[in-house]
Amino acid sequence: MKVELPDHELMHSGHVGCPGCGAAVAMRFLLNGLGEKTVMVIPACCWSIIAGPYPQSTLKVPVLHTAFETGAAVATGIRAALDVRGERDVTVVTWAGDGGTFDIGFQALSGAVERNEDFLYVCYDNEAYMNTGIQRSSSTPYGAWTTTTPGRDWKKMRKKNIVEALAAHRIPYAATASIAYPDDLVAKVKKARSIRGSRFIHIFSSCPTGWRIPSELSIKIARMAVQTNIFPLYEVEGGVRYTINLKPKGYLVKEYFRLQGRFSHLTEEDLDQIQEMVEEDWELLLRKAGTMPSL
Amino acid sequence: MSPPHAPTEYPPILIPRSFTTTEGNKTGSWRFLRPRYDEKTAPCSVACPAGEDIGRIEMLVTQGLFKEAWETILLENPFPGVCGRVCHHPCEAVCNRHDFDEPIAIHVVERFLADMATRYDLRPKLPKLPPRPEKVAVVGAGPSGLAAAYFLTRLGYRCHVFEARNEPGGILRWGIPTYRLPEAVLKNEVVLLEAQGVEILCGKRMEMGFLEALRGEYAAVFLGCGHGRARPLVVPGSQLPGACTDGLQFLESIRLGFSPQLKGTVAVIGGGNTAVDVARSALRLGARPILIYRRRRGDMPAFPEEVEMALEEGVVLHELRTPVHIEPSPSGWSLTLQTMEPVGQPEGLPAEVRPIPGGVERMAVEKIFVAIGGEPADAFFAPPEVGAGTLKLGNCLLAWAGDGPPLVYGGDLTVEIQSVVHAVASGKEGAMALDVLFREGLEAVEPILASCRVGPGPALSMEVFLKGLRCRRNAHVVKYSEINTDHFTFAPRIAPPRLLREERIHGFAEIPLKISANLAMQEAGRCFHCGLCNQCDNCRLFCPEIAIHREETPRGRRIDYDYCKGCGICVVECPRNAMSLEEEEAS
Ligand SMILES: Cc1cc2nc3c(=O)[nH]c(=O)nc-3n(C[C@H](O)[C@H](O)[C@H](O)COP(=O)(O)OP(=O)(O)OC[C@H]3O[C@@H](n4cnc5c(N)ncnc54)[C@H](O)[C@@H]3O)c2cc1C
Ligand SMILES: Cc1ncc(C[n+]2csc(CCOP(=O)(O)OP(=O)(O)O)c2C)c(N)n1
Ligand code: SF4
Ligand code: SF4
Ligand code: SF4
Ligand SMILES: [Mg+2]
Repeated sequence: MKVELPDHELMHSGHVGCPGCGAAVAMRFLLNGLGEKTVMVIPACCWSIIAGPYPQSTLKVPVLHTAFETGAAVATGIRAALDVRGERDVTVVTWAGDGGTFDIGFQALSGAVERNEDFLYVCYDNEAYMNTGIQRSSSTPYGAWTTTTPGRDWKKMRKKNIVEALAAHRIPYAATASIAYPDDLVAKVKKARSIRGSRFIHIFSSCPTGWRIPSELSIKIARMAVQTNIFPLYEVEGGVRYTINLKPKGYLVKEYFRLQGRFSHLTEEDLDQIQEMVEEDWELLLRKAGTMPSL
Repeated sequence: MSPPHAPTEYPPILIPRSFTTTEGNKTGSWRFLRPRYDEKTAPCSVACPAGEDIGRIEMLVTQGLFKEAWETILLENPFPGVCGRVCHHPCEAVCNRHDFDEPIAIHVVERFLADMATRYDLRPKLPKLPPRPEKVAVVGAGPSGLAAAYFLTRLGYRCHVFEARNEPGGILRWGIPTYRLPEAVLKNEVVLLEAQGVEILCGKRMEMGFLEALRGEYAAVFLGCGHGRARPLVVPGSQLPGACTDGLQFLESIRLGFSPQLKGTVAVIGGGNTAVDVARSALRLGARPILIYRRRRGDMPAFPEEVEMALEEGVVLHELRTPVHIEPSPSGWSLTLQTMEPVGQPEGLPAEVRPIPGGVERMAVEKIFVAIGGEPADAFFAPPEVGAGTLKLGNCLLAWAGDGPPLVYGGDLTVEIQSVVHAVASGKEGAMALDVLFREGLEAVEPILASCRVGPGPALSMEVFLKGLRCRRNAHVVKYSEINTDHFTFAPRIAPPRLLREERIHGFAEIPLKISANLAMQEAGRCFHCGLCNQCDNCRLFCPEIAIHREETPRGRRIDYDYCKGCGICVVECPRNAMSLEEEEAS
């Protein structure tokens, strides 16, 4: 493991995330890559709570809590203000959940990146509206139980591919990352930080509470998402140049699904079908990357 | 109300600003499971009869700490150079890495460390206790006697080793051929042993009356005189002059520098290490050896790798045959063999065989070597029956009779498997037993030795006996299923370079060649370090609570229970099961 966490980090203990919260781990790694010259914008999400009730803050960088749909717009404003003050070395970061990114915050995000605003947008993806009690989002994967897709009404739509949507805006940098691969995650954050214009990182962050998984498996399951090709690690530069960062060991999708309560209703046939969907997506990605990579 | 023409006043921007951290929230109170650092026992170290701390040795090698790694072996075994070459390495058979790809080549790394120490002429720094008043006599300078003296010396006792021959080493010096164990390797390790303070007196054969003579001077005697006499073959014709050559004597004569030229077909009767070495030596001296063994190849007590190398070199194996008659013939001897068939295989034992009616073969040979086992050269060295006045330990026997000093029988005289590392284990066990006997009395011997077991035993640890850091280890033996293999990638086991077959069979040069430090580090780096913390930092890295902190202690880090919520991620992400998760005690 190459990541060296400093003894004094930019995050405090005592935050109120659930035990095993992947989003808390994601924040730790993100800050490690960003450093203290950072301003954080957090629209409504679990992290609005995790960061601590007023007057506490668990982060050692300035945080602006904002309305659910405004993450990208607020960041745009802060960037403009900092520019007026000549503070070019500060990175403005929006940190939002999947609901705040894929759904309600999407128009603000699309608008900002279309203008190529100079900021980094990080979505920590726990695949549902967790803070309000596990409602489905357009990031919730095919097959998942949520409180709004209960029983036999489990979600029958595919997960929206957000990185592709962002790449379609031809932004300088868009990438996926996972809490199970800290080296890769931190390297991507550092790379994004060094680029001007709109940058987007999509971090897969497991949620023991919402996924009905044992808290100790939080990282393991995030790793399996990568190893099964459900969540491939890759980057897109300028909207067109694809790089796949990791060649998986090739676990079966089943092994990932069987560990999680939110998928417990799925039959063998369902899982076979999902395996096919995953393979289809992976092949599509390989084609975009331009090679059958000899990784 | 503001006056009508006053300038517009904007209200102050009221954004509440946090001014304190979350550290006031002692989220540790949410916890109902408690992670903790809990180093456990690696299976290899349990299987090593000398109880070497293998997982740690490999870790030190990976870190480039070669001297420390070598010293870690010396804590438990004074013969890494010898054992790295001739030990049958039972440690590797149980290595967890076996279930992942291939076991760690533990013996190759062991040998590398010994060679490295020789090359740089290193002197080990080992814990040594203050001098004790008792003196101990050791009879026989084979591996068991030398090990007993080495450990007793480190425990503070003065030791005199009495050896009948003019050089120490026992079978390491006079039996095992140099293509497996070059003389210099043994010499170097004996020199180091002497530097620890062991006194070896050669040319002193102890006779029947020696106990009387030593009485008063020595508080105890360790007997490690081995099996110096070959068991004879008894079939019609075997007593004819020149019919049978004793295999062990043949090997000894080669090690003494007499290398007879041989020719034609020779028969070697037996299936143990001696038989295999006799056959391979005879091949090197020009003969065509045929090994004759009464059971099947898989039942041979010789170490399988040695058998394989022998066959590779051109030794022929005739299994399921036993000699029944020998008579002179014009070209040498005519050997009559009875063919056998297996009748059953008791669990864990060699097959039972019986003669096939009418199955008789005859072969003409130039010479017949016999290597069917040994026994003590002097009957009075045979250990007494277990009973009153004796205490049977794992690899040795403690005996006291009359008013003489207590005796410890060890090495080939008492071990279950006759091997160098078992001889070392018996020497160590004998040394510990005597130390406890002198200091705390007979009753304490068994319980104290039991507390020094590596995992469930029977291997014993001198480091634990001396209350070193290894005492903290949990006896639980780490299983493969407890390794988080996500953190490892496949890598093939090292294939150490060796002499080609053609280069081997014309001389007695050592077969495996030296390996570089780089290769040794690579091989050691494959080790999971089962149950041992190698400071990989995964536990701290993945903690969502920032509740694990580094500190300057041997453990290297600590868990802050004020904030640890007990999610258990650290325990699962520890690649090697050096942590445990337990239910929190109800408060
Ligand atoms: C040919 C051969 C090959 C082997 N190969 C292997 C191998 O590859 N790997 C392995 O692990 N094991 C091997 N073994 C077995 C191993 O060598 C023995 O188990 C081991 O050496 C036993 O050690 P020991 O100290 O009990 O006895 P020994 O090594 O036999 O030493 C006994 C010593 O006591 C001395 N002595 C005897 N009587 C007296 C007396 N009255 N007074 C003073 N001194 C006396 C002897 O001279 C000798 O030096 C092999 C054995 C043989 C014969
Ligand atoms: C406009 C608006 N609608 C609804 C809410 C209630 N709300 C707060 S957080 C949240 C869910 C956020 O989900 P996501 O963005 O995925 O973050 P997570 O909680 O999963 O981390 C919702 C619905 C709100 N704050 N504002
Ligand atoms: S609900 Fe999920 S994402 Fe939210 S704090 Fe708990 S574990 Fe973290
Ligand atoms: S992987 Fe290492 S520690 Fe584990 S059994 Fe093998 S040699 Fe021993
Ligand atoms: S995760 Fe690494 S540092 Fe932590 S206990 Fe295990 S081996 Fe040691
Ligand atoms: Mg969410």
